[in-house]
Amino acid sequence: MNSMNEILGEVTTIAGELSVKEVTARESIVSVEASRLNAVLELLKRRGFSHLSLITGVDRIKDGIFEVFYTLFRWETGETLLVKSSISRDEPVISTVMHLWPTARFYERDVHEFFGIVFDGNPDLKPLILENWKEMPPMRKDFDPQKYSNEHFPDRHYEAEFLAEGGDENE
Amino acid sequence: MSEERKSWEKVANMLRSRSLWMLYYCTGCGAIELPPTMTSRFDMERLGIGPMATPRQADILLITGYLSTKTLRRVIYSYEQMQSPKYIVGFGSCTLNGGIYYDSYATINKLDLYVPVDLYLAGCMPRPEAIVSGFTALMSKIDKGEANGWKEYQEKNDWYKRNQIEALGEVYVHDEFHE
Amino acid sequence: MSKEVKLFLGPNHPGMHGNSSVHLYVEGDTVVRSRLVPGFLHRGFEKLMERRGWMQNLALIPRICVPEPDINEMVYAMAVEVLTGTEVPERAHWIRMIILELARIASHLMALGGVGGSTGLYTISHWTLADRDRILDIFEKITGARIYHMYIVPGGVRKDLPEGIESEIVELLDYIESRSDEFENLLLKNRIIRTRTEGLALLTREEALEIGVTGVGLRATGLPYDIRKIDPYARYDSVVFDIPTATEGDAFARFTLKYYEMMQSIRILRQVLEKMPAGPVNAKISSGSALRWRVPEGTVYTHIESSRGEYGYFVVSDGGERPYRINVRGASFPQGLYGVEKLLAGTRIEDVALWLTTMDFCPPEIDR
Repeated sequence: MNSMNEILGEVTTIAGELSVKEVTARESIVSVEASRLNAVLELLKRRGFSHLSLITGVDRIKDGIFEVFYTLFRWETGETLLVKSSISRDEPVISTVMHLWPTARFYERDVHEFFGIVFDGNPDLKPLILENWKEMPPMRKDFDPQKYSNEHFPDRHYEAEFLAEGGDENE
Repeated sequence: MSEERKSWEKVANMLRSRSLWMLYYCTGCGAIELPPTMTSRFDMERLGIGPMATPRQADILLITGYLSTKTLRRVIYSYEQMQSPKYIVGFGSCTLNGGIYYDSYATINKLDLYVPVDLYLAGCMPRPEAIVSGFTALMSKIDKGEANGWKEYQEKNDWYKRNQIEALGEVYVHDEFHE
Repeated sequence: MSKEVKLFLGPNHPGMHGNSSVHLYVEGDTVVRSRLVPGFLHRGFEKLMERRGWMQNLALIPRICVPEPDINEMVYAMAVEVLTGTEVPERAHWIRMIILELARIASHLMALGGVGGSTGLYTISHWTLADRDRILDIFEKITGARIYHMYIVPGGVRKDLPEGIESEIVELLDYIESRSDEFENLLLKNRIIRTRTEGLALLTREEALEIGVTGVGLRATGLPYDIRKIDPYARYDSVVFDIPTATEGDAFARFTLKYYEMMQSIRILRQVLEKMPAGPVNAKISSGSALRWRVPEGTVYTHIESSRGEYGYFVVSDGGERPYRINVRGASFPQGLYGVEKLLAGTRIEDVALWLTTMDFCPPEIDR
């Protein structure tokens, strides 16, 4: 069974330059370019990282990019790798990984619904959890849930029946 | 005629309050305290209350906790399918004022704008002893003839419908069974 | 020309384990195609967690997974401890193991009661739910609440165990072990349950690895993969326990494994109560008031073995007082969504509820 360092060496030959950051003894973050992403993931799957735990999207509004993280786990040794790739916020398109992991179809549908990222090659990007949703994708940083809740769902107003001595007025 | 009707209503209320069927629909996270209440430790059946599978034969609809907008559409369908007289119990703090999800884009904040509520039980979540005492309070309310939410829904139907459409957009569900 | 009938096993159904609906296309009595529709329990947790401080999130977090809320607190605390580099005191690790294993026993008891409810044999659910209530009494003495504890915090646990609780826990474990004969007679040697569940929901090893099934579903195909042994957390590498596996991969094998795992949890708890040292139970995360914690910048993914499979949190921090992004990986996401589409074809309508119960399906983890 190859160790993590050997595997990362192989990944560097495919992906060109690579940045690796260690989080704990058994977990590291690897950043690759979006165009080499599929080749890197295929190599990692062949070397034992065959369990896809999660696909996550992160909205970096100040830098104008979306980051997509793929969490991979190797059952034989208990190591985790987070593979990261960045795409632009105005035209968010990235290729799908359904051919490697069929369950990715649902993870990508989830990320598409909440961020608006388009996964090229996934035929099934319909809404999964929300129904009749007409606003912008809700997990983006410029969506304000309190404003939406105040407009659509009125609150209960409490009446103060008495005012205690020196107490605050009820709102 | 109306004297007979009044005394018949009194007898009917007494009989209704002692044999209530509860629709077993777990709408939210408060439903985790319902199985201990229904089984042998706290035993709700000694009060005459039992679970029922279909809305057509149930008397009580228990809204256990928060309601997301997707569930509210189905709850309105179920409530309108139940036969009168019917009662709704709001269970947990989220039905009162939104609870811990007050600023969420997916949950409603005040339940009695959309369906008429007869009794509220505060807590997050209410213990089985609180559920039993809430049900005895509901039973005495029905006995006295004060639980008239279903009549209010018929009289003020326009007001309820306006609130529902303002929160949901539309109440009609679009999927392959309703096209 | 096929005569397909559309049925929906809607959210309002007594056999549905939670609030979620399955759309079925049936021919006669057999399911041909199916599709799961989640979203009825959606509250927007991930957005709400970005709007509250690191300590305030502890009130929100247990409500994500309702039958077993302590796993949420554990992975959140582990993530914050990795990002801040805090060292948890020794006694706190052992107390965390007590809480997690008691929660695992309670969740398995509820799942076995669900099997009884789906087959119509209600004696099983009455017995298991009554025994589960005794565990909730112990939780109330330790933490103050029956269901949502908020006891495991980043840095340790909130406060120490009360006096005399160890002997009460040992009494409870003796009681559950004394019931094991009756449980085995009622569940494992019961002819009705064996006929209904043997051969149902078959899962081969390749299918399980392809779908991403974890937990009991994977161990029922023969692979002894358990995160407590492979990627240990707390002090699971200092106690001795076995991992039961089976080879058939059907529903009967899965819930038999749950029963044997429950017995192994009792074995772990006895060892923990003997080996627990004395000492402090809490470490400070950062100076100042707890409502103003600042967590340094970083990204981490932590996971543990819950009673249903691999449960994890993906936490991103930007150095501020609030999380930047938290993503929840529920254990039922792959087997609920993809498993229902791929594997449900060929079962009969009356077995769909039983299929969902034995496949460890819990809707709040999917919807968050």
